[in-house]
Amino acid sequence: MKRLLGVALGVLTAIGGFVDIGDLVTNAVVGSRFGLSMVWVVAVGVVGICLFANMSGRVAAASGRATFEVIRERLGARAGLANLSASFLINLMTVTAEIGGVALALQLASSVYYLLWIPVAALAVWLVIWRVRFTIMENVAGLLGLTLIVFAVALFLLKPDWGALAGQLAPSVPEQETVWTYSYYAIALFGAAMTPYEVFFFSSGAVEEGWTVKDLLQERINVLVGFPLGGLLSVAIAACAAVVLLPAGISVTSLSQVILPVAEGAGKLGLAFVLVGIVAATFGAALETTLSSGYTLAQFFGWSWGKFRRPAEAARFHVAMIVCLLIGMAVLATGVDPVQVTEYSVVFSAIALPLTYLPVLIVANDPQYMHEHVNGRVVNVLGMVYLVIILVASLAAIPLMIVTGAGS
Amino acid sequence: MTSPSGPLPPVPRVAGRILDAQLHLMDRQVLDHDGVPVTTVDDLEVSGPALDVEIPPGTAPPVITALLTGAVLGTRIFGGRPPSSRLIRIPWKDVAEVEVVVRLGVSGEPLDASWVERWVRDKIIARIPGGRHDPR
Repeated sequence: MKRLLGVALGVLTAIGGFVDIGDLVTNAVVGSRFGLSMVWVVAVGVVGICLFANMSGRVAAASGRATFEVIRERLGARAGLANLSASFLINLMTVTAEIGGVALALQLASSVYYLLWIPVAALAVWLVIWRVRFTIMENVAGLLGLTLIVFAVALFLLKPDWGALAGQLAPSVPEQETVWTYSYYAIALFGAAMTPYEVFFFSSGAVEEGWTVKDLLQERINVLVGFPLGGLLSVAIAACAAVVLLPAGISVTSLSQVILPVAEGAGKLGLAFVLVGIVAATFGAALETTLSSGYTLAQFFGWSWGKFRRPAEAARFHVAMIVCLLIGMAVLATGVDPVQVTEYSVVFSAIALPLTYLPVLIVANDPQYMHEHVNGRVVNVLGMVYLVIILVASLAAIPLMIVTGAGS
Repeated sequence: MTSPSGPLPPVPRVAGRILDAQLHLMDRQVLDHDGVPVTTVDDLEVSGPALDVEIPPGTAPPVITALLTGAVLGTRIFGGRPPSSRLIRIPWKDVAEVEVVVRLGVSGEPLDASWVERWVRDKIIARIPGGRHDPR
């Protein structure tokens, strides 16, 4: 019974933790401009993140090595450093976007200008990282993030024409858009679903919680059930936007437009739920990304790391995270639009994907690390297929960004 | 090159396990005897004759004398070489085990390789309230 509860808790946390500011914004933007014609991208992205999160979790459980240690060991110092620079900068951008997201959601809830909320949000993130136990931190944020299910509820309450909505599911470019903007947003959506920080966080979290091969089953259920359900939540966000914003000709440029369909469908109560959900989801992701920036640096340079240690026993790790939060705050203080930071961060994530996922695939096949838990043939074939997809998306991202003027 | 007329002669047997310095040592995580991360192997120090010197027959083969860390990471990536006094060494005799990670037989706390960690801890982290609080 206790074990079943543990499994249920893990799955719920995975669902609630799946959506972050990148998923929220990108899905709403895509829904408001392309309807449901990109649901297939979410599906491809979710299968990909399941595949690689599961793999990196297995590497962590079987060998005790987190992803960035593995990256340096396999790529060497030079390529490893190039990889660290790219991953770290993109992660920093995501930290900035998430803190901005928390502040924007708090502005919607309180009508206090978001710039005033930014120091509060950053301080709260730091305090949780400084003081709160890892499992409590993860579960509370994940469970509160579950309130985002209100997007699905609102979709039903909006009473859309289900037949017409299902008709949008086929991949096709709407009249007012070009193939190029379609491809650009497809890559952004793919990047939002497969953001590399999720893998850094997932594998380091497995080390934090001291997972062994005995926990592999639980890990597999968390990923294979939790992430697809989280993906359904993403689709619900896009569908809400497709039902309300697309016919009205509103394309999403702010967080208030993301939650507009919920207000219309589920009223004030729905609005309250969605605000709690967005604060929890972005706050949880702010914790994950901030920790990930500490994890990547510490694992590359071999510093002592982890929330399971006292801060004084992982001093450089904690200082690195404090510096990251300060940088994120400084960037936001310039008045840059957090929604725009988010849109760029998901595309840059897509560009950096191969850097993270190739080393994971290599090590998951290395018996010195994995013993008998090396990848099976099916997983390897899938991994190779995804590597090709990831590479194509990564190479196409910058040219598409230039051609489309970042999707405008 | 003459084509071999039979199977190649077997590789001469070496006592112990064969380690590839590049594959099994470089860039591996170094843990101390309590499993606390100390550093990553940034480079290796190898004994032996100077460069460009004729090696007389019968010379003892070079051995690894120390794991290196610190500034060597920068020079290894961008080229050049720091002065010998700037190298931070972990003597090879402190190494207890080479597996997926390199395990030391000593505590990491007093090592030169840990001085930055000690400095950051004593000057910054330990001074923030709760810095020594055990999260568990």
